[in-house]
Amino acid sequence: MSTKSAGPDDAGAKRPGTVDPFTMVVLRRRMEAIIREMVNALLKSGRSGVLNTAMDFSCSLTDARFQSVSVALGLPVHVGAIDLIPRKVAEKHGSTLAPGDCFANNSGYHGNTHCADFTLCVPVFYEGRVVFYTIARAHLGDMGFPIPSTYNPAARDVYEEGLMLPCIRVQRDGRDIEDVIDILKANIRAPEQFYGDYLACLAAVRTGEKRLKELCARFGTDLVERFIDEYQDYAELMAKDAISRLPKGRVTRSVRYDSELAQYPDGIPVTATLDVDPDAGRVVIDLTENIDNLPLGINMTESTVLACCRMGTLNVLGPDVPRSAGAFRRIEVRMRDGSAIGRPVFPAATSAATTNLCHLLASHIQALYADLVDGLGSAYGSVGLPGSCPVVSGRDPRRGNRPFVNQIIMGYWGGPAVAGHDGWLTYGSAASQGILWQSSVEIVEQQQPILIEELSIREDSGGAGASQGGPGSRVVFRPRFGPVRFAINAAAHDNPPEGMRGGLPGAPTRISRIAADGTRTDLGITIDVTLGPGERLLSEACGGGGYGTPAERPADRIAADIADGVLTPAHAAKVYPRQAREGSGR
Amino acid sequence: MHERADIAIDVGGTFTDLVLRLASGEIRAYKSPTTTGRIIDGVFDGLAQIAEDLGIPRDRLIAGLGRFAFGTTAATNAILEGKAAATGLIVTRGFRETLLVREGGKADTYNMYLDYPAPYIPRALTLEVDERVNAEGGIERPLEEQSVVAAIDALRAAGVEAVAVSLLWSIANPLHEERVGAIFARHWPEIPVSLGHRVNPCVREYRRTSAVALDASLKPIVARSVADLEERLAASGFCGTLTYVTSSGGQTSAEDIMARPVHLCFSGPAAAPEASRRFAALENIDGGNIITVDMGGTSFDVSIVTDWQIPLHREGSIAGHIFGVPSVEIHTIGAGGGSLARVDRGGFIHTGPESAGSLPGPACYGRGGTRATVTDANLVLGMLDPERFAAGRMTLDAAAARDAVERDVARPLGLVLGEAASLVAVSCEQNMVGAIADLTVKRGIDPRDYLMVAGGAAAALHAVAIARELGIRRILVPRFAGVMSAFGILTGDVAFTFGRALFASSATFDHAAVNGVLEALEAEGNDYLDRMGFADPALRSLVFSAEARYAGQVWQLTVPLPSPRIPDATALAALVEAFHRQHELQYAVRSALDAVEFTEWSLKAVGRLPDVSLAERNMERGAVTPSRRRMARFPSSPEPIDTPVYEIADLPVGVTIAGPALVEDRLTTIVVPPGSRASVTRYGNILIDIASPEGGVT
Repeated sequence: MSTKSAGPDDAGAKRPGTVDPFTMVVLRRRMEAIIREMVNALLKSGRSGVLNTAMDFSCSLTDARFQSVSVALGLPVHVGAIDLIPRKVAEKHGSTLAPGDCFANNSGYHGNTHCADFTLCVPVFYEGRVVFYTIARAHLGDMGFPIPSTYNPAARDVYEEGLMLPCIRVQRDGRDIEDVIDILKANIRAPEQFYGDYLACLAAVRTGEKRLKELCARFGTDLVERFIDEYQDYAELMAKDAISRLPKGRVTRSVRYDSELAQYPDGIPVTATLDVDPDAGRVVIDLTENIDNLPLGINMTESTVLACCRMGTLNVLGPDVPRSAGAFRRIEVRMRDGSAIGRPVFPAATSAATTNLCHLLASHIQALYADLVDGLGSAYGSVGLPGSCPVVSGRDPRRGNRPFVNQIIMGYWGGPAVAGHDGWLTYGSAASQGILWQSSVEIVEQQQPILIEELSIREDSGGAGASQGGPGSRVVFRPRFGPVRFAINAAAHDNPPEGMRGGLPGAPTRISRIAADGTRTDLGITIDVTLGPGERLLSEACGGGGYGTPAERPADRIAADIADGVLTPAHAAKVYPRQAREGSGR
Repeated sequence: MHERADIAIDVGGTFTDLVLRLASGEIRAYKSPTTTGRIIDGVFDGLAQIAEDLGIPRDRLIAGLGRFAFGTTAATNAILEGKAAATGLIVTRGFRETLLVREGGKADTYNMYLDYPAPYIPRALTLEVDERVNAEGGIERPLEEQSVVAAIDALRAAGVEAVAVSLLWSIANPLHEERVGAIFARHWPEIPVSLGHRVNPCVREYRRTSAVALDASLKPIVARSVADLEERLAASGFCGTLTYVTSSGGQTSAEDIMARPVHLCFSGPAAAPEASRRFAALENIDGGNIITVDMGGTSFDVSIVTDWQIPLHREGSIAGHIFGVPSVEIHTIGAGGGSLARVDRGGFIHTGPESAGSLPGPACYGRGGTRATVTDANLVLGMLDPERFAAGRMTLDAAAARDAVERDVARPLGLVLGEAASLVAVSCEQNMVGAIADLTVKRGIDPRDYLMVAGGAAAALHAVAIARELGIRRILVPRFAGVMSAFGILTGDVAFTFGRALFASSATFDHAAVNGVLEALEAEGNDYLDRMGFADPALRSLVFSAEARYAGQVWQLTVPLPSPRIPDATALAALVEAFHRQHELQYAVRSALDAVEFTEWSLKAVGRLPDVSLAERNMERGAVTPSRRRMARFPSSPEPIDTPVYEIADLPVGVTIAGPALVEDRLTTIVVPPGSRASVTRYGNILIDIASPEGGVT
């Protein structure tokens, strides 16, 4: 069992010389603009729904020392440790890197998040050496799993997951390596959709490459590199300063995740210890007390563990601290090889490493800060994907019975309450923090032969508290013509998102099959079900946990929720008895 | 040439701008304070000011007007301030949250302590009816009329003043929405009702619902304000034509705008690119590629004209509510004279988006503001004259500006005062460069091929610095820079856009169905131009476009149709090729083998108004003598330079002034740094040539 620190950056000594404040301003804006341009290139030319409607992708760049300026514009779980990707490119291919190369990586054993996150990385050459890396990571609609899903929480090992790309070259001299592309197309269910998404990712990394070369030409590589170093010092100072204003303390907290294993009848435990040292300006998160790898796809990866800890902590430190390598130096994460909440040991399955346990850990980090002091952090947000975010597959009789496979992102709500604010409605999980877009009903119905009969707020589902958790959704799907297969990767059925500082938990997730005669069957959390016409899938999603004691919730907020029909008077009387009594006595 | 005078009015947040074209063709500009709450009073104050200037009674001025073209923030402000009518919303059963969910996403990713925004129409006023249409327009569940009647009763009891109807897939089959409209007409005829498929016939229920909700909520107030204006104009003997500026920058009749008030969103600012286009045409600038920037006290607006065309988009929003109808794409960021400068704990400067506004305003205004702003920095740098600010109506407190910049920027960063002030300006300029880069990048264009037109009171202070960063070589500061939008309103065309949803794929193209839609649109457009009084065919034009995408994509691009009908495979191939080109231009890739899908067909009907011309100034050459001099610090020089200051009115046409120089009129200061040259054109505009651009944006 090894314990390794993954926090401090291993960049060499800072390059000499200082950069004036004018250049700092100019280069910071330029770097941010380049990333925005990469995102723009990817968004509107992507093909699968998770890309072009849910925006489930991220773009970033690092220098040759893997230092980022801004990991902005992406999902926290995607970008929090995206530096692992170029590190692996350098480690594995360093001696053969050449201009025009592009590498693909989807392996949790090579620094990637999970199997369905397809990541491209281009080494940017200028004046004969690598100066930058550009990176685009996109969650694809299919990765060639044995089942039509992009997650397989039930996978016992990597061989029950999708095609693995362990940081391999896909382009040389700026041209596709046809054999590699052919392997990909031969293994992925929707090869045209895949190739369209690949081109979209490629457009992003190549756009970034072009702009970075222009930047070096204009400002000189030396100045740009010194800027990156200086910027890390700035980011580190900002993080250190923010930590210095936190209270000193050590908090350990455990929480349970829904178990489908006999080995864990009461749930799978997740434990973390947070040490805040304001004097040293340093945060340590220790995850070494967690269980060994599970025979399930929910094992986390180094990338997702780091991302949860870094981004959760930065959420607490505030929006002014840059999300960059320098800031990460103040956050030390201790994890263990072979742990479900750590680095996986081959051949542990990790295809659900960005959802399930990851959702719980991301919330858990924020909850640790709530334990540390009232007013900080958050309650727990949604854990697992609701039944309204299935990967759907089948054939579409409207289009000549063409096969389809796509993930829908709909009704992915249930934000955790924070001090002074109710949960953010369209939050999804703490791993995505509300960034995902929600599919349009009409676009979903245009792209898949299903009818959505309802998409509404699930009454009484937000956890009660001084601040109330965001409600979950209630969604009903019905196949229109032939059978449609739904693969769903849920959680929070037995362990709904918890409240903090006296707040109550949100309602638990319930996903049911409704037969033609109206009979309802609970489908549990790991679902692979094929429904025919006349049958329905009912998704009742968990709500976020509340923050602060319910007795402190202002009566007018309760009255407004009742008027809007999202809180029933009966439930209000149960969870807010004082306010309900006083309200009716008026 | 013109028998009557025309007037164009742009009601802004602070000032109402008026531009008058006299019967002689002469153009004059005026400003009058906006009277918040009752904006028509400010308009009539302005008219009185003009009448006084002309030495005639106000009513004679009004009675003599041929055209009264009105751009108003009434709609924009009503939405921003939540003062539109109490509105009910009718939706398909099961879908009450459309306006609440919007499309998901979160702009401020890093801030966890935020309240979720409220829907435009509260859930309690959102009522469900029993019905369902599917994606192909088939009826899954017939409309239950009783559920509509029940909703009418509930909305009547709630006291709403307008109703929006937005049912799923009404664009595929409008039958149910039309029936709901008819039931309202029978049961509650006096209530204004807007139907989704008519207001914004696009796929994606949120965009359609948001547009129709805004439209309905604006009907009562727009009807009142139109009636008010018409009444007051009539009382003064007005017998000309009243037009309103629409979101797409064109103008249309009062009747049309009352029927579709959502087209009033961004009514005034939408005309700014039109003004730039006219100035550039007047000055014979080649190419018709223009970036318009407009900077005032709190915000910086950017818009683009490419090949003389003003691009429209469908994603315009106010306070986060998409209004969906075609609108001039204007990108706004919080960068203005009042933008606050601060240094964070890590020693990095930030300028804006927080603004001191005009109250308390910059420290140098002496109105209680103490924090350093961009205006304070410009005063410290010597770019502004403390005695001549805002036409001399205000004296700036230079000591207060120095103190604020010293305390807020210089001391925390260990810089000397002048450097600190420069840094504030550079930081603000970088935000503006970013805004321009985003908009040009989004449209796949290279700003180096563009002319910059700088409008608004503050833009010319920063225009050269911004242009240099972007590699732009020429800047035009128009004579009417302070009233850009009003000038654009005066010179804008009469135009309105009509749209229909019809799905078509290049693989299975139904020529008859598409041509049927195009025919119906053409009839609508022709009716409109007849109604607007354009009899001369030479002044009429019809521009068709389609919303198109590759099969599998869900975002559309707007593609102009190469021909007004698609009769055969050749015409279809030309349309498909036009889409490939557009996609390649914007996203650098084309998928030549993929089918192209079309979701919506639009027609813009345009009635051209006669061109305006500006009076030419005399070409007589005089001596170029600075009116005065002051010490000004340019970024390229460590020390302030003794800089000549010229009055625009004193400058002879054709003379070139080499920087460093400051060129001023009553409302604007134009900064001409070392290396740049400014000249006065024969129309009295200032053209700046940037000698050595620093390359492109990166």
